[in-house]
Amino acid sequence: MNSFDYHVAEELSAALAEYGAGQATLKAGGMDVLDLIKERLIEPEVVLSIDRLDQLRYIREEQEAVRIGSLTTLADIGRSELLARKFNAFHSAAAHAATPQIRERATVGGNLCQRPRCWFFRNRELHCLKKGGATCFAVEGENRYHAIFGGGPCYIVHPSNIAPALIALDGSITIASVESGNREVKAEDFFVLPEDSLYAENILKEGEIILEISFPMAPLRSATIELREKQSFDWPLVLASVARLKKGWHVCLGAVAPIPWISQSAMDVLGNKEITLELATVAGEAAAIDADPLEENEYKVQLVKVAVRRALMAAAGLEVPSWN
Amino acid sequence: MSYRNDNRVALENDEPRLEIREKVTGSAKYTTDYYLPNMLWACYIRCDFGDARLRSADVESARSIHDVLEVELEKKSARYHGDRIGYICAESRQALEQAIAALKMKFAASWPRTMLEEERTALEDLEPAENDVQAENVIDTCDLVVQGEFQTQVQTHCCLEPHSCVVHFRGDSAVAYGSTQSNVAFRDDLARELGLRPDQVEFHCEHVGGGFGSKFGMDNEGRLAAQISKKYQRPCRVVCNRKEEMLDTGNRPGSLQHMRIGLTRDGKIRGGKIATWGSVGPTGGGGGVSNPSRYDFGTIAKVHQDVHIDGGFPRAMRAPGHPQAMFAIELMMDQMAVEVNMDPLEFRQLNETSELRKEMLRVGAEQIGWSERQPNGLSPGPIKRGFGIGVADWGNRPGTAAIGVNVYRNGTVEVLSGAQDIGTGYRTMIGDVVRTYMGLPRNALVVKVGSSDLPPGPASGGSVTSRFTAPKAFLAAEKARNRILELVAKEWKLNDASGLNLEDGRIIGQDQSIQWKDACQLMTGDRIAILSDEDGAFGKDPTGSEAVQFAEVAVDVETGIIHVKKIVALQNVGLPVNRNTIENQICGAVIQGLSFCLFEERVLNNQTGTMVNANMDMYKIAGPVDVPEIVPIIWREQREVAVNSLGEPPVVPVPGAIATAVANAIGVQVRSMPLTPRKILTALSEKEAKS
Ligand SMILES: Cc1cc2nc3c(=O)[nH]c(=O)nc-3n(C[C@H](O)[C@H](O)[C@H](O)COP(=O)(O)OP(=O)(O)OC[C@H]3O[C@@H](n4cnc5c(N)ncnc54)[C@H](O)[C@@H]3O)c2cc1C
Ligand code: SF4
Repeated sequence: MNSFDYHVAEELSAALAEYGAGQATLKAGGMDVLDLIKERLIEPEVVLSIDRLDQLRYIREEQEAVRIGSLTTLADIGRSELLARKFNAFHSAAAHAATPQIRERATVGGNLCQRPRCWFFRNRELHCLKKGGATCFAVEGENRYHAIFGGGPCYIVHPSNIAPALIALDGSITIASVESGNREVKAEDFFVLPEDSLYAENILKEGEIILEISFPMAPLRSATIELREKQSFDWPLVLASVARLKKGWHVCLGAVAPIPWISQSAMDVLGNKEITLELATVAGEAAAIDADPLEENEYKVQLVKVAVRRALMAAAGLEVPSWN
Repeated sequence: MSYRNDNRVALENDEPRLEIREKVTGSAKYTTDYYLPNMLWACYIRCDFGDARLRSADVESARSIHDVLEVELEKKSARYHGDRIGYICAESRQALEQAIAALKMKFAASWPRTMLEEERTALEDLEPAENDVQAENVIDTCDLVVQGEFQTQVQTHCCLEPHSCVVHFRGDSAVAYGSTQSNVAFRDDLARELGLRPDQVEFHCEHVGGGFGSKFGMDNEGRLAAQISKKYQRPCRVVCNRKEEMLDTGNRPGSLQHMRIGLTRDGKIRGGKIATWGSVGPTGGGGGVSNPSRYDFGTIAKVHQDVHIDGGFPRAMRAPGHPQAMFAIELMMDQMAVEVNMDPLEFRQLNETSELRKEMLRVGAEQIGWSERQPNGLSPGPIKRGFGIGVADWGNRPGTAAIGVNVYRNGTVEVLSGAQDIGTGYRTMIGDVVRTYMGLPRNALVVKVGSSDLPPGPASGGSVTSRFTAPKAFLAAEKARNRILELVAKEWKLNDASGLNLEDGRIIGQDQSIQWKDACQLMTGDRIAILSDEDGAFGKDPTGSEAVQFAEVAVDVETGIIHVKKIVALQNVGLPVNRNTIENQICGAVIQGLSFCLFEERVLNNQTGTMVNANMDMYKIAGPVDVPEIVPIIWREQREVAVNSLGEPPVVPVPGAIATAVANAIGVQVRSMPLTPRKILTALSEKEAKS
């Protein structure tokens, strides 16, 4: 890693001002930023840490919404009885991500903004399309973990566990900057496909900091199912978050596309119906309809079907196959 | 199972490791903990790709970085990602890293060789074995012929404590710290590199965080540290970072194994042909596969080819050539059992070469609940249950080592061994041998290992350390005890010490007794010093370190995800000394074998040869939740046996046991490791397409 100056923000306004000036790299828990620095994928001159801004660490229930500060850790979410009870899809996505140690450091803001885990991207040696190079190594290379939806010209999968649940639950993200003050965007509008923006995975502009995320209301039912190769210290192969809101079911998939992937085809099948095993199965099949796998990741299509079916069954309180 | 205890053995000892406090509190010092005053740092400059040529590097910029002393590029072309093409020396680690970045190296890469299956010579083009015709004849006369091809991946060494060395050259002497499996070899290599005699080099390695066959000599890290230290007459430190550790410190080579075996209709294997290929580095060899082994395969014609791949070189790794062989062999055994319509356990009993293992198979089957095993693929529901078997053994002969025992006037017993504790609990084993033989409590004991100044021990490879040293320790303990008993006999005016016993810290005669500490006061000098380099009566017949394991798995056939529920691991260790360290070795081996079978895999990019998962998140290693219930069973023989090998044998059966259990669960064999969800689902859909 290169040498850099380390600034610790004590006040949000100071952090916004310094970050807005455009010199600093923002760090929350640092789980991802430090990885990037160590691999020399970024070589910041100044790292601005916001992890002491305790005013951004909260889980608050209000009349119209539940609000979660961007510095709330995944472990905080795991410990929240409120979220476990009312926002199961979000709670379990956070509570089981990564490992206990990582969850204690990893923040909501950092999790939503972490860079892709594509193993070509993560290696300094390989100058791929996303890093300004000429090739996407995933196209003809080892692409077993890459996208089956929404790929091209880059085939990353979005690595956040909590983003699909946030979208399925119709959540929003509040962003602040010195220049334009605060703005709230729908979570589903936050992420961008590589065909629209190759070098960034979201709409954040220079100097913008996520303040909080919020859910408008508790769903009637919700659940997240994560399918992993390894059961600890690993990212999901496929993740499905489902929620039954007033108007009907929402289905959003993780680890299958460059953004959290809203499965309109599954939602069309589901409407606002009661879940039966048959319906869940049909919805799972529907979720996989438009998949366009690469050479090594066809198996993820099957995983999508199963994850969606099981997430719906879990949300509906039906029995989901398990080891025990 | 039974075991006859007598006063000449140390065993049934449940105490924790001697160094438990140091390990838990972090005060145990590893090589990387040594920061010497005025120390220099050095590292290698490495190639980014497989087969590549350096086009440009900004050496001048790198040299101009503050605190950088040297930047040397020594070669222009490199053969694998991580290959060393030069080195940097600096006053700090920061300067090293900045210099590497400033080099801005550009390489021209050729199309690399990355796939064993593409680079190997085809089966039909291989030079036949000498007895090929004979084996063909056997096959021709068999009722049934079964064939299959099996593949295993490259497993990197990935030691938690990286390869490292700190050297301080002082003109006519040197002090060095290194992470090693052989203090003696490391010291000798350093002495040669520094132009010193071995006695002029003081070498220390108190604790090691993983070696597994990759840490014998001083290695590249020691060489660079020695060269720089000698040149600048200052201490120098070279420590691999995680990526370097993954790329350039060795691996278990990948394999392909083709087996064509003939058998009789009643299940007796008669012989056949086996071809194996091992994926080695860009040059050289080392890809051997121990197939056939363990079972009685009759007449086998075996051929092997080492296949060059533009990736890091292989090295010995915990039972080199064995776990990969037993993966193929156990699957083949199961397939043959299916062909003759026999229970796989019964089929193994019929073709087993070891009577002892037959008994272990019987006991293990009971422990795992083999009778609950369903026919292949027939367990109900989407989560299918399966049972599998793996076996192993390990052979070695007695070898040389020396053990020192000092008994001080205050009663302290000091055990000295220059062998290294590579994390196995060697220090505990050797200390417990001495003190339990002498009948003393742990607090009377001091054990010193891991320094070149101590009596020489063997290199810790081939699972020989305990096997070689334990008999010497028994003999030294016997001699030391007898010397004290003789002093007591003299004090009590007895003719000799034959009627005296040493038990629980007391020396007991016919009608009197004396505390050990008081007895030691009878010596006139500072200490009684014993050095033992012979086995004496303690060099008993070794066992075969036989191992039998049974696995129970649950496989989700909708997702291909495998959950290993339980592994029963029976292990013959000869004379068991300390239960904790033995169980620890067995459980560690099971976890490592499971991790190899299900997760670990070096992935080289097919276009550049770059290892894309040279880290510990994308190179997947089993985590806590992946670890099953492990039931280690220490097998006791009915006869008196010596302490025997334990390091390697328990890792050998694991992949075979898990792979056969998975096949039993899902009704189709997955013949390529690691057994990922992708491969499971593919095998299931192929099976469905066929039916
Ligand atoms: C072994 C391992 C396994 C993992 N498994 C999973 C998993 O299964 N699922 C999963 O979701 N994650 C997983 N992770 C990733 C981990 O959850 C993220 O790295 C972590 O959440 C990032 O949060 P952080 O606070 O540490 O972010 P940082 O590293 O501090 O920041 C990450 C990025 O977000 C930006 N950022 C941080 N906070 C804000 C903010 N408030 N506003 C705007 N930008 C911001 C930073 O500038 C930076 O670009 C895993 C990580 C590891 C190491
Ligand atoms: S998928 Fe994207 S990040 Fe990965 S190699 Fe291709 S362009 Fe680069």
